[in-house]
Amino acid sequence: MTATGSKVKKLYALSSENKRFCFSQPLKHSIRIGKHDYEVKLKADDKYGTYILWKNRKYPVEIVRSRQNKYEILFNDISYTFTVETPFSMQRMKVLNASRGKNEKEILKAPMPGKIIDVLVREGSTVLRGEPLVILEAMKMQNEILSPVNGQISRVLIKPNTNVMKDDMLIEIKVD
Amino acid sequence: MKIKRILIANRGEIAVRIIRTARKMKIETVAVKTSVEPKAMYLSDADIIYDNTEDDSEIPVFLNIERLIEIALETKCDAVHPGYGFLSENAYFAQKCIDNNVNFIGPSPDAIYKMGNKTIARKIALSAGIPMAMGSEGNIGNEEEAVAIADKIGYPVIIKAASGGGGRGMRIVRKPEEMEKMFIIASKEAEKAFNDPSVFIEKYIENPKHIEFQVLGDKKGNIIHLGERECSIQRKHQKLLEEAPSAALDDNLRDTMGRIAVQIAKAVHYYSAGTVEFLLDSEKNFYFMEMNTRIQVEHPVTEAITGIDLIEQQISIAAGEVLKYRQEDIKLTGWAIECRINAEDVQSGFAPDPGKIEKLSMPSGSNIRVDTGVQAGSAIVQSYDSMIAKLIVKGKDRKDAIKNCKLALDKVWIKGTKTTLPFFRMLVRNQKFLNGTFTTAFIEKDLDKYYLNSEYEEMLAAWLATKLFVEENLLDNSINVDFENSREMSPWLLNKRINQF
Repeated sequence: MTATGSKVKKLYALSSENKRFCFSQPLKHSIRIGKHDYEVKLKADDKYGTYILWKNRKYPVEIVRSRQNKYEILFNDISYTFTVETPFSMQRMKVLNASRGKNEKEILKAPMPGKIIDVLVREGSTVLRGEPLVILEAMKMQNEILSPVNGQISRVLIKPNTNVMKDDMLIEIKVD
Repeated sequence: MKIKRILIANRGEIAVRIIRTARKMKIETVAVKTSVEPKAMYLSDADIIYDNTEDDSEIPVFLNIERLIEIALETKCDAVHPGYGFLSENAYFAQKCIDNNVNFIGPSPDAIYKMGNKTIARKIALSAGIPMAMGSEGNIGNEEEAVAIADKIGYPVIIKAASGGGGRGMRIVRKPEEMEKMFIIASKEAEKAFNDPSVFIEKYIENPKHIEFQVLGDKKGNIIHLGERECSIQRKHQKLLEEAPSAALDDNLRDTMGRIAVQIAKAVHYYSAGTVEFLLDSEKNFYFMEMNTRIQVEHPVTEAITGIDLIEQQISIAAGEVLKYRQEDIKLTGWAIECRINAEDVQSGFAPDPGKIEKLSMPSGSNIRVDTGVQAGSAIVQSYDSMIAKLIVKGKDRKDAIKNCKLALDKVWIKGTKTTLPFFRMLVRNQKFLNGTFTTAFIEKDLDKYYLNSEYEEMLAAWLATKLFVEENLLDNSINVDFENSREMSPWLLNKRINQF
């Protein structure tokens, strides 16, 4: 990519909710709101760690994850996921998306680390959206993990009394 | 019997809190060092540290009655303060302390037992003529019985653990067909959490306010109340923000409810600090829910408006002193709000987000109090609760307190875990919160979003992602980190990556 770097005129940051933010390249250290440009500074020091200074206010920032062109940013305690695309990769993505069929399987992942207390369904069970599937205990609270979809359980990947990490796969549902 | 040395049978911010008052009273404290948190902040405040890191028992020491008694005796403590949670409402522990000539800083074992068992508490309240929601007379034996009783009371009903508290073992049932499943879940959860699977059923009051009264009694039978706390901002029965007083009460209602709170406490010859919880419906009818026989997490808001140190009162009362205050001495001045800043991910429905606190800086000022048990470098561990700090803000009235709270929230700086801060930043700008008409259903029903962020914040985050992309992919020198020319950028990136391993 390094070789093409100088030719890229624009970059797009696409949010997980498909909001599009366009930045000209080379990237400016200011953001235009209405008629004014406001300076953005990325800084770090011992007291505050890393932060962005904007309009005289400090906002804590953190990179939670970065993989290829996908970035999870923690900004003022809120996390945002963006994929950064060049005009070329953006075009390619549109083509790819159009040819891909719709997702028929839903994989339920652990929202937090904890212990599986109970599994309320079996492979083959028919479930409705909002139905509790698994009871996960984390930090002394029992949480019901609800089905996000209507469908049929195709795989149960966990057993009661076992520990799971965040994002471990729990259950696979064939979506109706 | 003057108290000279207290064993703090707890950890975290409440241990720090108790030690602070003990020091003020010139009483020594013993804190217990555990292998889970060998560098915890509460240890540095105590006079004596008992090293329990070698303990390989499966039960955490703060739940291990025999062990705590041993420690108390070995370190020559004449009193034990249980804090909240753990053994604070365990009648057997209180009795064991007494049996070993160690003063239990809390109510009598009998009062703990009676109020701790919700079925017995209901009976006591009923016979004292206290207003209550309809419910089962005793515990429910099985699913069939549960269905039969619920049919009689009418849905919705709530299943509660007889020995419960803090929202665990509690399930709302709206339809008969849900009853069997919910009964089993509630009962299992109760057994797991409280070693007692028994549950009972009550009529579920839709959208009430949670109002609780702080009571204080001595061993001579004097009991007063210190006004109410509004605790309706809660999620899954876990409180997030509390205030004192409540916008829903006027002086008349406060007097009535306060008098009934005292009456309940008197029925069990209560001494020490305690909390009587009520539900208040939209017609201002109130129902006794339960009594908590311990110091509460949210006690600072009461301290802020009464000027009374509740831990000091608990200690003096345990030592046999008579209450210095009469009911007419209690004046509520100003307004106080407490925000529980927890390591939780508001965007994932308040899922706990344990981790290491890398940076922590809290505001200070004459109207601000911060109770915390952590500092930069501390870890929020999975074995305990997710609390980072309690931010308590005062104002001359509710509006003023909210204004001060808004300013204080913007000065809190925490890095390392996600926190409930974005929730509070949203809350102090929410119309329903501002006008005080919220109920316990507020979070689940009245909010479409649990956090505050402006479009500029998202844009700035997008800018940062783009900047990273440029640094990693488009700049020729991206692989060779140049510390001189990109000082603002590289050390931080490297740090973060190093910290992940």
